[in-house]
Amino acid sequence: MRTRALYILAGVAITLIALAGPARAHHRPNNEVVLGGAISQTGQYAEPAGRQVNAIKLWVDEVNARGGLLGHKVVLSLLDDKSDVQTAIKLYEKLITEDKVDVLLAPYSSGITEAVANVNERYKMPFVAYGAASSPIWEKGRKYIFDIVAVAEDYQKGAVFLAKQIGVKRLAIIGQDSLFPRQVGKGAKEWAKKAGIEVVLDENYPPKQTDFTALLQKVKAAGAEAIISNSYFADSVAQLRQMRELNLDFKMYSSTVGPGLPNFAEQLGNTAEYVLGYSQWEPLPAVLKHPGMQAFIESYEKRFNEKPNYHAGGAYGALQVTEAAIKKAGSFDNEKIREALATLDVETAFGRYKVDARGMNDHEGLTFQILKGKRRVVWPEKWAETKAELPMPEWSKR
Amino acid sequence: MERSDVRSLYRLAALLACAYALPFAIGGWYGAVHANERWLGYLATVVISGVLQGGVYAMFAVGLTLIFGVMRIINAAHGEMVMMGAYLTWVCFFRLGLDPLLALVLTLPVAFLFGVALQKVVLHAVVGQPELTGLLVTFGLGLVIVYVTELIFTTDFRTIPYAPGTVRLTRTIAVGQSKVISFVIAVAISAGVYLFLKLSRLGKAIRATALNAEVAMVCGIPVRRVYLITTGLAAALAVAGGALVSIQFGFNPETGTVYTLQAFTIIILGGRGHYVGALIGGVMLAVLEGLVSLLVPNGTAMVELAAYTLMIFVLLIRPGGLMGVKDA
Repeated sequence: MRTRALYILAGVAITLIALAGPARAHHRPNNEVVLGGAISQTGQYAEPAGRQVNAIKLWVDEVNARGGLLGHKVVLSLLDDKSDVQTAIKLYEKLITEDKVDVLLAPYSSGITEAVANVNERYKMPFVAYGAASSPIWEKGRKYIFDIVAVAEDYQKGAVFLAKQIGVKRLAIIGQDSLFPRQVGKGAKEWAKKAGIEVVLDENYPPKQTDFTALLQKVKAAGAEAIISNSYFADSVAQLRQMRELNLDFKMYSSTVGPGLPNFAEQLGNTAEYVLGYSQWEPLPAVLKHPGMQAFIESYEKRFNEKPNYHAGGAYGALQVTEAAIKKAGSFDNEKIREALATLDVETAFGRYKVDARGMNDHEGLTFQILKGKRRVVWPEKWAETKAELPMPEWSKR
Repeated sequence: MERSDVRSLYRLAALLACAYALPFAIGGWYGAVHANERWLGYLATVVISGVLQGGVYAMFAVGLTLIFGVMRIINAAHGEMVMMGAYLTWVCFFRLGLDPLLALVLTLPVAFLFGVALQKVVLHAVVGQPELTGLLVTFGLGLVIVYVTELIFTTDFRTIPYAPGTVRLTRTIAVGQSKVISFVIAVAISAGVYLFLKLSRLGKAIRATALNAEVAMVCGIPVRRVYLITTGLAAALAVAGGALVSIQFGFNPETGTVYTLQAFTIIILGGRGHYVGALIGGVMLAVLEGLVSLLVPNGTAMVELAAYTLMIFVLLIRPGGLMGVKDA
């Protein structure tokens, strides 16, 4: 009799364990789910990635105020990859296998995302990337990585168009020697070819380069009239300063990430004027008209004392997508979330999310120009706030 | 000089001639070398900028070589002290409204005291220990400096908008004002340190300790105090270097490592423990970097490759560096 009772008890226990198995979230105390990721909080990517961290924190508080994800309180577990690929790989292994997070967050930068994509693919845990725009990441048959931002190849499309408009015939493309800037450069070369502009110099520099004297002289020696610089923050600041110090005039200078960051114009003063930059998104609800944009901008500004930039907007949008996907899946089952992310069609504060077969979103960005210390949209025409003021005036006349 | 020493100098000269001719040969092959006035102007700008930059590099290297020469400690935190100098200058400029050069009057004594404290608390324990011990301790110290700076200043890149103007040398040659100012100050400070070591009583005591600490002690030189002053001086040199870097380039807490590596390369090229060698090494490195970047297709990505290749060959031919002698 006693043995039979034991058997029944064991049977019930096994059934219970089996039932509890897939819904891992229920194991945690206080009905919590953990949202985890490693994002660069120190190192060269800390500047843009920091804005994403802000947006993530904001979203977590908002979602908890709404009652959490499927009734679970969201707890954030953010690690720092120090802007280093190897560290990021290790941390994602740890997040997935040791910490057993329920929902994964993406890292920042194409290079790091490319490396981390192998890890989450192996453990079949999906995430929506908001800090990677290089299409090769999505061209390797991966199934668990999705993207919300526009592809790197289109970052300089507007700049090439504007260069053509002011009659530039010879263009130099320079950029940092890492995955994302190289992809932007590749795209810029193709757009220049389509526009009939000759690329007279195409050169990369190491990520830690601070002195661009020789490279800028080389650009001038090659006879370039305009520069497309696929740079991050520190390098584009250095290039502009040194261009001015060396008294080298160009008709146009277009960077990628740097000018979009709030303190770019602050640090450069009037040397930042007339510089073109690309943005995935700008905090301009009247122009872009995405739903929920106004509310996001207001609460972000209230909390962090600055307007969100596109890095913040992208991370926020990706989390809205993740929330929608989990709701659609109705559970924290990775396969179901993956399926939802692949088929979802949803409007976010960042724009529409609807991925193709590769997992890439067809997001449209914009080109802006720094005029009187402010970013003003100059391309595409449907969103342009003002006409681009090009060619840039000579340094000696400023 | 011994005959073998002279021979290795000849070999080194031949190597350097090849190293500097190679970028021109490659540039010529790809049609990037021209003989017109405009192109020579670009070339001259690059070389002049290289010399100016080299002077500043050399000042970091003098501080590094000083500590190594006197105490046989390889200071892996030297670049971090340079970075610290950049932040000190930033604080003086933005918080106190001080001119970055005037701020040196304030920052250098602070740096000297920091160096003295560092020697008292940390480095005294590793003097005379195997070189690896000192390397590990200073490496840890560097990390501490980086993360403390991150805590205080975050990882945002900062620059100091100072002297953004240009100095026009000829119609085609122009260099940055901040570069010229930095060079003049770096050379003045390095020369001051050199003369101090050569002529003053204390300087002679430092050099005597570098030659042989035990004999110096027997002769009545207070070796421990010499160590304190040496580290203080090296820290002051690093911080001065940081001030000059801060008015030219952007910096964040992690930029220090770049300067540590540069300083190491320079003292290997120029010769360990040799002050004029550091200046020559600094100029050699900066000019080579400029030439590779200007002349070789996609050369900017190969600048470090060129620098470290040169370093390896110099080590093979003349392990003591350009001005150095064989280790005793």
